[in-house]
Amino acid sequence: MRSTKLLSLCSTAILLGGLSFGAFAQQKLYVYTSMKESMVGGLKTAFMKKHPDIKIDFQSAGAGKLMAKIAAERQSGKILADVLWTSEVPDFYQLKANGLLLPYIPAEIKALTNPLPDYDGSFTAVRLGTLGIAYNTRHVKEAPKTWDDLKKPAFKGAFGIANPALSGTAYMSVAVLSKTFGWEFFEALRANGAKMGKGSGQVVDDTASGDLLGSLAVDYITLDKVDKGATLNLVYPPEMLVIPSPAAIFKDSPNIDAAKKFVDFILSKEGQSIIVEDGTLPVRTDVKIPERFKQLPSVEDAMKRAMKIDYQAIMAEKEGTIKKFTDIMQK
Amino acid sequence: MNTRTQSRFGTPELLFMLSVGVLIVVVAFPMLLIFFNAFWVDGHFNVADVVRVLQRKETYEALLNSLILSGGVTVTGTIVGTFFAWLVTRTDLPFKKTMKLLFLVPFMLPAFIGALAWKMLLSPRAGYINRLFMDVLGFDGPLFDIYSYAGIILVETMYLFPFVFIQVSGALERMDPTLEESARISGADLFTITRKITIPLVLPSILSGALLIMLYSMAHFGTVAVLGVETGIYNIPVLIYEKIHQSAGSFDSIRTATVLATVLVLTAALIMWMQNRVLAKGKYQIIAGKSFRPTELKLRGLRIPMLILCIVYIGLTIVLPTVTIFLVGGLKTYGLSFTLENLTWANYNHILFEWDLTRDSIWNSISLGLASALITMFAGVIISYVIVKMKVRGKGFLEFLGMLPFSVPGSVIALGVILAWSGKFGINIYNTVWIILVAYIARYMAFSLKANSAALEQVHDSLVEAARASGASMAQALRDVVVPLVRPGMVAAFFLIFLPALRELTVSVLLYGPTTRTIGVAIYTLNEDGETVYSAALAGIALIIIVLGEVLIKRLVTQKNGA
Repeated sequence: MRSTKLLSLCSTAILLGGLSFGAFAQQKLYVYTSMKESMVGGLKTAFMKKHPDIKIDFQSAGAGKLMAKIAAERQSGKILADVLWTSEVPDFYQLKANGLLLPYIPAEIKALTNPLPDYDGSFTAVRLGTLGIAYNTRHVKEAPKTWDDLKKPAFKGAFGIANPALSGTAYMSVAVLSKTFGWEFFEALRANGAKMGKGSGQVVDDTASGDLLGSLAVDYITLDKVDKGATLNLVYPPEMLVIPSPAAIFKDSPNIDAAKKFVDFILSKEGQSIIVEDGTLPVRTDVKIPERFKQLPSVEDAMKRAMKIDYQAIMAEKEGTIKKFTDIMQK
Repeated sequence: MNTRTQSRFGTPELLFMLSVGVLIVVVAFPMLLIFFNAFWVDGHFNVADVVRVLQRKETYEALLNSLILSGGVTVTGTIVGTFFAWLVTRTDLPFKKTMKLLFLVPFMLPAFIGALAWKMLLSPRAGYINRLFMDVLGFDGPLFDIYSYAGIILVETMYLFPFVFIQVSGALERMDPTLEESARISGADLFTITRKITIPLVLPSILSGALLIMLYSMAHFGTVAVLGVETGIYNIPVLIYEKIHQSAGSFDSIRTATVLATVLVLTAALIMWMQNRVLAKGKYQIIAGKSFRPTELKLRGLRIPMLILCIVYIGLTIVLPTVTIFLVGGLKTYGLSFTLENLTWANYNHILFEWDLTRDSIWNSISLGLASALITMFAGVIISYVIVKMKVRGKGFLEFLGMLPFSVPGSVIALGVILAWSGKFGINIYNTVWIILVAYIARYMAFSLKANSAALEQVHDSLVEAARASGASMAQALRDVVVPLVRPGMVAAFFLIFLPALRELTVSVLLYGPTTRTIGVAIYTLNEDGETVYSAALAGIALIIIVLGEVLIKRLVTQKNGA
């Protein structure tokens, strides 16, 4: 009696174990992305409905961690990722220079806005991410209007910027803001007690909870929480941070056809409509921003107000920029 | 011994070779690689690099933090554990039996989930308790800042004090009460009896429990990672994690990590050595194995206040964090207040049925737990048999190998496994679920050996001899006599491994790949990504799975004992 119980327990366990390990061997499209679940979840469902033969798997993490992972995979001889989709544009120029990317001009290229210089299809912008100032409306009563408002007592000791070593949007923002306003800008923020947080999601969550009064925040992450009732608001100073998030296909991917289908899908009208529903700017002009995101500017307005980005220079100075910023914030 | 019996001995001997092989490949090889990589660079013995790593500010800060934190936790945990142990064994506290069981509950709750709950309650500006005091009661600042040394020590104490509690309450129960009685008859007062008789008798138990706390806290990743990062408090396991994750997995960072691992192993070895010394000294024959009925101290007027103290303590350390986890897991977004319109089932639904990451993680943890528990259970019974029953030369070495990971911190095992199985020696299972399985087997083998050895020691040799004399082959004797007798030990080993593996974080956080997150990793990374409500919801589900598993064990084990 007892032995049969034990036996059945063991055999079930082996069966379960075997099944689950078997599942790992199945071929899948691996998309490494820094986009959060709120955005990729909807895309995944819609894509798999359209292409039921392709099983797609998102590895969501900060751009810094993903690049670390890719570097480690490269060393071990095989890059697991098929598609990379983050906001750390210099990484893409670097990967392209290393010859790791497959140039692919998407089917509907004509309908797309392209903010990236030297375009050859190696990577294509999928969204125009914007970063503004998120603040907790329970604690901050007057909305900040300019970048200089962050130096005011309203944000004393509790303004957060994500760690640029972890987050691609944070790295791009730090690089662009320091080019535009000089490092004095961050020194002044630090003098007002600004802190370096972890990931781009974490600083917004801490702002929603009230641990931070405000943060340098990614559009859709903030608006998703506003949608769910967080006491948050998002505002944009006149000089805007517009950071494109490109997607690229790895040259050695064993699933190139599936990868191309995925890139085409996220750039299609259907894909872009899903992306816009999350509260970020599309790259297609024929996709409308939903009414409820009144904080978001139009694509034309955003492009007009956007601070200029010199990608080549930013790529060359990456390590120095991160170090300089970390030094200032940890002083 | 003729040739026929020789051939019959074939099976066990083959098993012996196999078990030695398994232990060397799974345990010894990765461990050796750590020391090798720490001290050898490009084929040369190199101490300069080791010294360079040790001289870095972050290294000695991490070591210092590890010592401060584990030292603090050891002191507070020992005081709390001893006090409650005394209260439930030697006083007339009401509901003692229930209280004793309740004090063991923190043992089965993962400390990092507790840390998450306390972050939600006591983070300086957003913690719900701090908000209550600041917004409603008009305090100027937070009541308590959990992002501090004191906060981390407090949280770890809550989950680690049972180490001392179990040891001390056991010793107090087994202590011969006539010793105290004769002292009282000779005219000693309570204070003198406590000082001269009770404390010296239970001191070895207190110390060995204290060292267990220290060992555990030293190697503990979760609580420090959750509560310390905000204010820059990190210990060695956290530093190893950051080295592995943030520096592109380059060999230089792995080497730095191996040096850190060596420091950790040496510290752990020192603690183990101290424990052995204490235990060697503490062999007091006066603590008899029988269970006496010790005299109880009458608490009189303090009975009810002490009961209230226990209830408040349990309420604060078990009920409050658990309720917080479930409530935050039901919030629409983190930071809202707990009103009905802010609560939703959507997060739980999303976690369980819609989100691959979380669903995979539950699946991974359960299958990894089952697989590692089964493998170590069977391997453990074979190896224990060799150690306990067979007269083979070199079995001491076998025992040492099997028990080694018991004293080696999880981060070190993970690091060793990375060095051994990421392609340098022909096998590359990095990024797959197999590498986590190998690490779990190495880590939990000692649990299985302990449980199985204990069971095997109670099987008298004469039983096997009788079977053999009656003409049974060795394999038959094993199958028909030994295995049925040690089955309870095997079942115990299975659950001793399955449950910790289910909630494991320290090892898997260093080894996970795109589809191989465990529950612990998923909760931790969701928290790190700022998805607080999802991480709380998953933590709540994990708690349910753990408690169900725990209840299941109790059922099975009591059935076994009853039968």
